[in-house]
Amino acid sequence: MSLQILINGIATGSIYALIATGFALIFNVLKFSNFSHGATMTASAFIAYFAIAGKGLGLVPTLLIAAAAGALIALVGEFVGFRRILLNHSSATYFFVSSITLGTLYEGLVTIKAGSNFFNFPRFFSTPTISMGEQVISTSDVVMFCISMVSLLVLAFIIQKTRLGRAMRAISFDRDTAQLMGINSTRIIQLTFVISGALAGIAGVFLGIKYTLYPTLGSLVVKGFIASVIGGLGSLTGAVIGALLLGVVETVLLRLLGSGYSTIATFAIMLVFLLLRPQGIAGSNVQEKA
Amino acid sequence: MALLEVKHIYKSFGGVKAIQDFSIEANAGEIHGIIGPNGAGKTTIFNTISGVYPAEQGQVFLDGKDITKLEQYKITRLGMGRTFQNIRLFSGLTVEENVMCAFDPQSRYSVVGGLLPTPNRRKEEKRGRELCAKYLEAVGMQDYIQERPENLSYGMQRRVEIARALMCEPKILLLDEPAAGLNPTEVAELTELIGRISQQFGFGILLIEHRLELVMSISHMIHVQNFGQTIAVGTPEQVQHDPQVIEAYLGKEE
Amino acid sequence: MSALVSNVLTQVFITLIAVAGVYVLTGLTGMFSLGQAAFMAIGAYASGLLVKNAHLPIPVAMVLAVLMAVAVGYLIGYPVVRLRRDYISLVTLGFGEAIAALLNRMTSLTGGASGLTGIPRTVGLGITAVSAVVAVALVASFKCSKYGRQCIALRGDPLAAQAMGINVTRVKMIAFLLSVALTAYSGCLYAFYMSYVDPSGFGWKKSADWVIMVFFGGVNSLTGSTIGAFVLSGLPQVLRGLQNYRYVIYAVLVLIILNFKPSGLLGEWELTPRNIKRLFARKKKPADKGEV
Repeated sequence: MSLQILINGIATGSIYALIATGFALIFNVLKFSNFSHGATMTASAFIAYFAIAGKGLGLVPTLLIAAAAGALIALVGEFVGFRRILLNHSSATYFFVSSITLGTLYEGLVTIKAGSNFFNFPRFFSTPTISMGEQVISTSDVVMFCISMVSLLVLAFIIQKTRLGRAMRAISFDRDTAQLMGINSTRIIQLTFVISGALAGIAGVFLGIKYTLYPTLGSLVVKGFIASVIGGLGSLTGAVIGALLLGVVETVLLRLLGSGYSTIATFAIMLVFLLLRPQGIAGSNVQEKA
Repeated sequence: MALLEVKHIYKSFGGVKAIQDFSIEANAGEIHGIIGPNGAGKTTIFNTISGVYPAEQGQVFLDGKDITKLEQYKITRLGMGRTFQNIRLFSGLTVEENVMCAFDPQSRYSVVGGLLPTPNRRKEEKRGRELCAKYLEAVGMQDYIQERPENLSYGMQRRVEIARALMCEPKILLLDEPAAGLNPTEVAELTELIGRISQQFGFGILLIEHRLELVMSISHMIHVQNFGQTIAVGTPEQVQHDPQVIEAYLGKEE
Repeated sequence: MSALVSNVLTQVFITLIAVAGVYVLTGLTGMFSLGQAAFMAIGAYASGLLVKNAHLPIPVAMVLAVLMAVAVGYLIGYPVVRLRRDYISLVTLGFGEAIAALLNRMTSLTGGASGLTGIPRTVGLGITAVSAVVAVALVASFKCSKYGRQCIALRGDPLAAQAMGINVTRVKMIAFLLSVALTAYSGCLYAFYMSYVDPSGFGWKKSADWVIMVFFGGVNSLTGSTIGAFVLSGLPQVLRGLQNYRYVIYAVLVLIILNFKPSGLLGEWELTPRNIKRLFARKKKPADKGEV
């Protein structure tokens, strides 16, 4: 029983980790909270759903379509919502407002296509559960956990080992200087959006499998936000740790308190975290130079 | 006890020791220059004295009161005014409103007065505007009260910033490179202005400045900083002939 | 006036009161709250329940509800005014979702997801219109007061504001609580106009809509924010016939403004006697020249 809860929590947490890292990537390069991330998840999950509907395709093609759709949506969003603001050197608050508006736009478009109905992904697994001795765990949990971890490892490799990752880190540190050093910041920002969007697409499909698919599914992005606050805004490692922690704690609380009160408890945990460690798990406390 | 007493303060950022064992005493009517190459920790001294961040060791007293660990706004209210190296006027406000912002914390009306035009609010606002007029006149900016600071020249913005600091009714005024970016005529006017307000309002001034013609002509005492340490203290005469100072500024003669 | 027009106007005025609060918070002080709608919910539920269950007179219930919201606001504001911009929006978002979850869960008191019914319908267009005018007037007065100036000062440069003796956390808290009070009051009006409230309408999307309205009209202008509230809260009602397309139209309109006129429709312009005079003076000038 307890192992089951733990695995369930980690699986949920790994989906949150996909959301939180996608969110943290954008925060890193542009220093704002991307509120269109949730709607990007929903829209790409829906695109994948309609693309495979009735074709009997498996989970992996579905995820690939969703990731591609997410990447494309994020790329378009960068152009429509953020490019001009970036070039105008407007304050980061405009990114924030623009991202909320983009979210409304995507959600509106999904609603036009799908109405406010619920959709179910086809059953991807022939055996819904795996028995390990006395423990019974759901196959989808295990698969989602594994795929999430692989995605995060790929992301870690990109950030740590490739030129793209180095450029992203440079821009996150100081965009103007990075540009002076010959980094094409527009291109790197575009690629960051592509990666973030792909992660959103995968997370969207997983959420759709877990909770069925509906136009306001993207609201679950809140979990990713909370995870990255706990982990420290902009820190990818922190986001993953925060997300796994949140997933486990939430699943335990869900068993103990039921659905309504667990939301409140997670919020309380976030607040306590912020009061005790405002910079998050992995964040460093930078002193402002006057 | 002197009006401002800074006793052996230390401050470091990571491994960089920005201030090591800095002390100063200043009284009303005195002007103390602080000079030194870039990165010598001069602005950090101001930030530590004015409470942007607390000193790691040592103490700061203002008018006999220990202000070492006080919050910045409280130190200001006890009588410390300052200007910034890179002018930091409030955007979105006029010249008059900028100066009023330094009066507002002293203004005596409540939140009710914030919502409704009570007689008390009108009285206090009038008092504030009169003080504004007085201090803007002291710096020669009385004709620009309705202008936006961003439309003014650099020299004029400096003057508005000084007027705003005067509005804090300081006992000690910290001026951080007031002549930076000014042309020679403006520097001469500023030198005259600093000397005049120091006489008129009778506070002590701490002055960070690179323009030696300004510091040397009006300072009573000069502190020379290099790599966080004080390498010389004395009158402008003494300091100019100090071998260590010459070395820091001109390099060592082989 | 037809019932439809009256209905749209009443809802617009209710929104306008909340947006006046968001203007204080976001426009003046630069804080982004995505949990403001939760304070509207607190105002609506508390006043509704106090009248329905405790049989208090409506004005008393409204005052108590606003005070309750302010008390909650103080608790949540304590950490919020000390946080950096993005943390503020995320913490308030979490708070708003928690309140919505609580309302959903406390079924015996609030009716849960099916909502709270049986609130007497006593508020009409007249009261909401007067309330909206008073709310905007109070905010205008606040903007010209020492508090408004301090808010604008600390919005741009908190460090310099502190150096001028401004108690940044206190001024932020005052702005936050004023905003909470206005939002809660708009919730009271909402409850007694709709006679029914349910938790679904108070999520972070609603708070985000208010922020968008402020930016649309002009984040530095109360007049602009008011116009933003009128246009954007009226628009979906007017476009009701277009159903799902209305939110797309709304979003496209806002994106155009953000891209091509980032300071909003009005920029910093305010409707003051002096500015009106200037406006007319400018218009007259070419005519004068023509005569000469």
